[in-house]
Amino acid sequence: MGNIKLTLFLAFKSIIRGNRWTLILVIVMMALSFANLLVTPSILSGLTDTFDRQQIDNLLANIIVDPPSYEYYLDHVGPIEKRIEQIPGVIGVSSHLNNTAFFEYEWEKKASPEDKGKSGTWPVIGIDPSREVNVTKIASYIIEGSYLSPNDRDEIVIGAEIAGGSMAVSNEGKTLQGVKVGDEVRLTYPNGVQREYIVKGIFQSREIIQADRMTFITRKEMASVLGRQVYDDRASQILIKTGQGAEENQVISEIESLGLDAEVKSWREYGGTASGIVSSFDIIASLINTIGLAVAGIVMFIIIYISVINKKRQIGILRAIGIKRDVIVGSYLLQAIFYAMLGIISGGLFFGYVITPYFDLHPLELSVGRVSLVIESGTVTKAVMGILVASVLAGILPALHITRQNIIKSIWGN
Amino acid sequence: MIRVNNLHKIYGHGTAATHALSSINLEIKAGEFVAIMGRSGSGKSTLLHLLGLLDTPTNGDILIEGKSILKLSEKERGRFRLEKLGYVFQEYSLLSEMTVLENVYIPAMCLGNENSYKQRAEELLQMVGLGERAKHYPNEVSGGEQQRTSIARALINHPKILFADEPTASLDINSAQVILALFKKLNKETGQTIVMVTHEPEDRKHVDRIIWLSDGLVGKEATEPN
Repeated sequence: MGNIKLTLFLAFKSIIRGNRWTLILVIVMMALSFANLLVTPSILSGLTDTFDRQQIDNLLANIIVDPPSYEYYLDHVGPIEKRIEQIPGVIGVSSHLNNTAFFEYEWEKKASPEDKGKSGTWPVIGIDPSREVNVTKIASYIIEGSYLSPNDRDEIVIGAEIAGGSMAVSNEGKTLQGVKVGDEVRLTYPNGVQREYIVKGIFQSREIIQADRMTFITRKEMASVLGRQVYDDRASQILIKTGQGAEENQVISEIESLGLDAEVKSWREYGGTASGIVSSFDIIASLINTIGLAVAGIVMFIIIYISVINKKRQIGILRAIGIKRDVIVGSYLLQAIFYAMLGIISGGLFFGYVITPYFDLHPLELSVGRVSLVIESGTVTKAVMGILVASVLAGILPALHITRQNIIKSIWGN
Repeated sequence: MIRVNNLHKIYGHGTAATHALSSINLEIKAGEFVAIMGRSGSGKSTLLHLLGLLDTPTNGDILIEGKSILKLSEKERGRFRLEKLGYVFQEYSLLSEMTVLENVYIPAMCLGNENSYKQRAEELLQMVGLGERAKHYPNEVSGGEQQRTSIARALINHPKILFADEPTASLDINSAQVILALFKKLNKETGQTIVMVTHEPEDRKHVDRIIWLSDGLVGKEATEPN
C-alpha cells in the first residue's frame, strides 16, 4: 500500500513540479501524433463512405432483386413490389427494365450510312418515375429540363456524359456532342426497334461518372419496345431502398422468405470494384498508420527518454535512500500514461472540434466526389492503444535502464 | 556494529585495473562517531559507499549487527538501506520537485503511516533548525539548509548508522560548523552511530575516532579527545 502511495506521490510531484515546457511539448506532440493517427484513416474511411453512398444513391439502392441465373427477367413484378413494400425498413421499391440502344443525334446530317456522326451505344433503363424517386437520386440531379412523368412515352432523360457539350468531362467523341433539352435523339434497340425521343431532361450526379452515362425512359415505353404483351409486368431487376437504421441483412432475409424465384443481393455484393478499392485503401491506411505510429513512438521515446535521463541523478538519490526500483519505474510508468492520456484527450478534442468541423465545411473535392472525414471506433481504439503503448515503452525503458545502473554512477555520473 | 573483513574494491580489469581499496579490516562500535580521513584518491568515499550498500566490493565481507550484508539480494539490500541506514551525500542531494518536508519524509512513506512520518519529519526539521522552511523547495533554501535537510531525511527511519560523505565540503565555514555541531549533538544525545568521511583537519576535534586511509589501505587509527 505504501509503495502504491509513494509511486503515485512521485509521479504527481514530477508532473506538478517538472519542467512546464517539457510537459507542454510532450503533450502537444502526443496530441498531434494522436490526431495524425486519426486523420489519415478518417480520410480513407470518408472516401470509401463516399463510394458506398454514391453506389447506393445513384446506381444500386440498398438491395437488388435479380432474376434467377436461368432467366433474363422477373415476372409479375407488380405484386412483388407491393409485397416488398410491406416489409419493415423498406422505404422504396422500383423495377427496372434494362436494355441498351444505339443512340444517334443529328442523324440527318450524316454524310453517309457509314459515317459515325454523333452516336454511341449506352444503357437505357425503363423505370416508373413515381417509384424511382424513392429509390435513387437521379431525379434530383436534373440540371436542364425536367424529370420523366409516369405517362411519358416519347421522352427520354439522359446523363450529362451522354449529352456531351461543356458539361461533360468525357471525350467529345464518346458523347452525343451537345444534345440539349428539346432535341431529338434516335435510339435503335438490339431487337431492331427504332424510336425517336425528345430529350426531356439532362442529369448530372457530379459524383459518379458511371451514373451520368445512363438514360431513362418510362417502363411502359420500354415494355412497348420489347413487346408490350409480354413485358408489361416484367423487370430486369428490382431495386429496394431501406431506411436509416434498417438492417439490410434482415430485410434481405424477409424478402427471401417471400419465396420469390429470384436472387436477392445487397449493394455490397454488386459493388465489387468499390470493394477492391476499399481494401486497397485499408492496406494503404495500415501502412501509413504503422509508419505514423512508429514516427510518433520514436519522437515520444526521444523526448521522454531525454526527460528521464535528465532525472538520472534524482533517480540515483531515490535509490540511495532506499526507494524500491519498482516504485521508481512505476512512477515513470504513471507519468507516461498521464502524458499519453492528456495527449489523447487533447488530440481527440483537436480532431473532433477543429479538424472534423473544418472538413465538414470544406470537404475534399476529389474526382470521386466530396469527401469528409469519417471516424470509425476501431480506428480510435487502434490510435489510443498505439499512443499508450509507445508512451509506456518510452517512459519505462529509460527508467528501467537507469535503475539498473550502479547507484553511484546514477548520482555522480562516473 | 560494523565489522569489515579483508575488503577489496578494484575498478576496471586487467592492466587497467585500479585497486581503490585493498585488504581493509576495521570495526566500528555502536554509538561511535568515526571519521574516515585521508588524501584525495585514498579510497575514503569508496569505503563509505561500500559500507552504505551503495556499491559492492570486489572481495571481502561487511557485517552489520553480525549480519553479512553482501549476501543480501538487491531487493533486500534496498530494504536494509531504507530501514537501517541513513546517508548524507557530499553535495546537495535533495529532490528538487519536493518541498523540504517532503524530502525528509519520502523514505518513510514505504514504511509508516502518513500521520506518524509527517509528524516525525516536522520534529526532525525542528531539530535541525528548519521548522520554518518546511514548505520551501530546495532551490529556495541555502546550501547549509539543504544539507541539514539531508541530515533530517537520513534520520527519518531511525537508522542504526548514519553515513555522511564529506557533508561540509560544499559549505561555508559557518554552515559547516552548524552541520558538525548537529552531528555531535545527535551522537551525544541519542547515541547515533555516525561514520563520516572528511578531509578537513578541523573536523577531527568533533569525532571519537579517526580511521586513516592511504592508497586504499587502512593506516593508523587515532582516537581524538573530544
